[in-house]
Amino acid sequence: MSVDLSSTPRTLLVCERSSFQEEKNRVSTQVEQLRFNYKVSLLLPECNSLPSQLESVLDSFTSFYLIKQLPVYELLDKDFLETAVYQGNVYGLSYKTRIDEDNCVALLPNGRLCLSLDKDSFEVLGFEGKPSKFNHRTKSRFVISVDLTDRRMAPGGRGYQRLLTGLKSRLQLQTDFLLSHHPGGGASLQSLLSRCDWSEHRPQMSQRGLTELSCPAVHSCDPHSLLEWLGAVDADVTCENSSSSFLSTLACPEPKTTLSRALSVSVCGLLLPQDIQRLIDQLRCYLQQPRLESWVSLTVHGFADSPVSWGENEHGFLKGGENFYTLLMFHNHTYRLHLATGAHDACPP
Amino acid sequence: MKHLDQEEESGVYQRAVLKNASPYHYMKVRLVLEDETSRLSAVELKQFILTGLKTLHGEVGAAINFDLLKYDEDTLTALLRVYSSGLVKLWSSLTLLGSYQNQDCAFRVHQVSPFLLALTGNSRDLQLD
Amino acid sequence: MPFSSSHVFPWPPSSSMAVFMDLNIRVDPDKSKLQRLIDTAAHLGFSTVALNYVFEPSTKKKQEIPVPTPISELIGELPVVQGRSRPIRVLNRLTVVTSDASHFRPNAAEYRRFDLLAVEPTTEKLFHAACMSYDVDIVCISVTEKLPFFFKRAPINGAVDRGVLFELSYAAAIRDSTRRRYTIANAVCLMETCKGKNVILSSAAEKALELRGPYDIINLGSLFGLSDENSKAAVSSSCRSVLLHAETRKTASGIISTSRTDQQEALQDQTDPGDEPSAKRPKHS
Repeated sequence: MSVDLSSTPRTLLVCERSSFQEEKNRVSTQVEQLRFNYKVSLLLPECNSLPSQLESVLDSFTSFYLIKQLPVYELLDKDFLETAVYQGNVYGLSYKTRIDEDNCVALLPNGRLCLSLDKDSFEVLGFEGKPSKFNHRTKSRFVISVDLTDRRMAPGGRGYQRLLTGLKSRLQLQTDFLLSHHPGGGASLQSLLSRCDWSEHRPQMSQRGLTELSCPAVHSCDPHSLLEWLGAVDADVTCENSSSSFLSTLACPEPKTTLSRALSVSVCGLLLPQDIQRLIDQLRCYLQQPRLESWVSLTVHGFADSPVSWGENEHGFLKGGENFYTLLMFHNHTYRLHLATGAHDACPP
Repeated sequence: MKHLDQEEESGVYQRAVLKNASPYHYMKVRLVLEDETSRLSAVELKQFILTGLKTLHGEVGAAINFDLLKYDEDTLTALLRVYSSGLVKLWSSLTLLGSYQNQDCAFRVHQVSPFLLALTGNSRDLQLD
Repeated sequence: MPFSSSHVFPWPPSSSMAVFMDLNIRVDPDKSKLQRLIDTAAHLGFSTVALNYVFEPSTKKKQEIPVPTPISELIGELPVVQGRSRPIRVLNRLTVVTSDASHFRPNAAEYRRFDLLAVEPTTEKLFHAACMSYDVDIVCISVTEKLPFFFKRAPINGAVDRGVLFELSYAAAIRDSTRRRYTIANAVCLMETCKGKNVILSSAAEKALELRGPYDIINLGSLFGLSDENSKAAVSSSCRSVLLHAETRKTASGIISTSRTDQQEALQDQTDPGDEPSAKRPKHS
């Protein structure tokens, strides 16, 4: 038995180019498909201060709630189903749980409840599910995915009763839980929140001004170099190295230009696709105004421990749980989209 | 080249899927020393890691190129870049490094990814309490 | 439930899950050192650790089998596991180093005070016996010497069939380069025969700086000939198998020795350390 020491776990990078004016462009679907977003970061070249129209979009990102020790059966509460889940656009994700170790829970905006459970919990719960795609050798993790808007899952229905009894009396699953709803306001979540220990959180914004920044030709730069450069900007890594330097040989891809300044803005929390879509729309307006540079970049990171990514596809964590996309938008309505994922993920849409 | 540029700006829908194509992997690491007041310069840190590579993997290990992309002397935190083919060897040599100049030490590996961008967007860092 | 503790866990008991575990942290009489070890293990993301008492009988004079100190006396507050809201779980383990057949005493009541039982055989004959018949949870692979024998398929398969796991520990490989060679050589030799199954990786750390994170160990497993998946199992689901094996072993031996009144004491050590009779306090220093 030998292991190849030069191999690494599988990764995928999907690269797309098109135009917002092209009928086949699917950007809005793709944005909608990454449901549980942890961080959005923007790079605005030749920009001093955050333009007010962008700031107001970022400021209006929906708040989210952290519920401590939520008994998961509360998500099946009849009131909660009627006032929130059936209306759609409720986002819920277990917090402080790790998808490669713990039981994880997600409530999707389309009313689907997803439980990723270890074998014992799955058997104790006694509800229909499938073995995880990322099981190795033995079936040690199982995924239960139910459509709460389905007739059989309506309160009183057989499936509903089985799941409710299982979660109430057999498994008694409890977890810290992040919850949000679009549009915000939280009125529809009140019935649930009133029974729990919760706190409200605002997405956290931060910004950083950059000067004299080397910049590759963003139209034509190869995808990995482009993402590396964006990563270097985000991580505040210098690209001003020579190829012979001892410490680092990282350099900005050629051909390059120099931006006299740029603004890097980021927001963290449980961020909703709807808000990101509004941000994209606003960025497109921003690009229509005359500027020195005719592009902006937007990166969206999904939660590493979400049971789903890219639609309803199962997501896992081997040595990393990365799932993110970078959208590079240009003045002429064209864009470059890069969707990246790690070993335990489906191919992005 | 000109022709290519035109095509790229035309907006015709194109899609390509690259599998296992990341040339590099990136690591976010922190060196913990027994004596918490000791400090290393960036050059010393890189030398130290190189020694570890050579001790564990010999000349082949010493030939592995890696970059110290960023280093904070106060927290001894560093970002490393290594060719994907050298990741397992670099990482294992960091793991087995246990002493620096006769004092105990350990590298704490915070995150590893084929994408540098992923290192600034780790949801496991989300602290709400 | 032998492993339930007085803490209320938010999830079902973590013995039911493939959480990361380090089932070999050397117990240390220095409490602040031990606290640092446990704190570091929790900070690195381990949900369960076992404090290892090593017992090395000598043929010349009779020695006392150690008695585990209740966890609550050793450790102040149990630290919260990194990124989670539950505290770390701490178990006791005994490792008997055997160089002679008389060193391992089947059904010794003293063994039952520990949650986990391991044996480290130093000869091929004892390795064979440990794999085929000893009622233990773990067989340790030596990292302090180049094994004087090759692993044969029969004992390995015997151990696998009986649900006994092999343990490789890595701290010696951090401490010195000779032991590093032994560790890698013995590991590769083991993997050739067992194909990476029924293996757990643990630290055997004596100091906090000898502990490494779960993902570091998974990567290190490649040097030992383990695939990423087998490596990950070696710090998670295989450790869970050890715990389950220990539960079954103790239940079984409990039935055999129903006449003894103190048969459950090891379990109580774990569940309710506050109500211990004074006679059970550790006698050794």
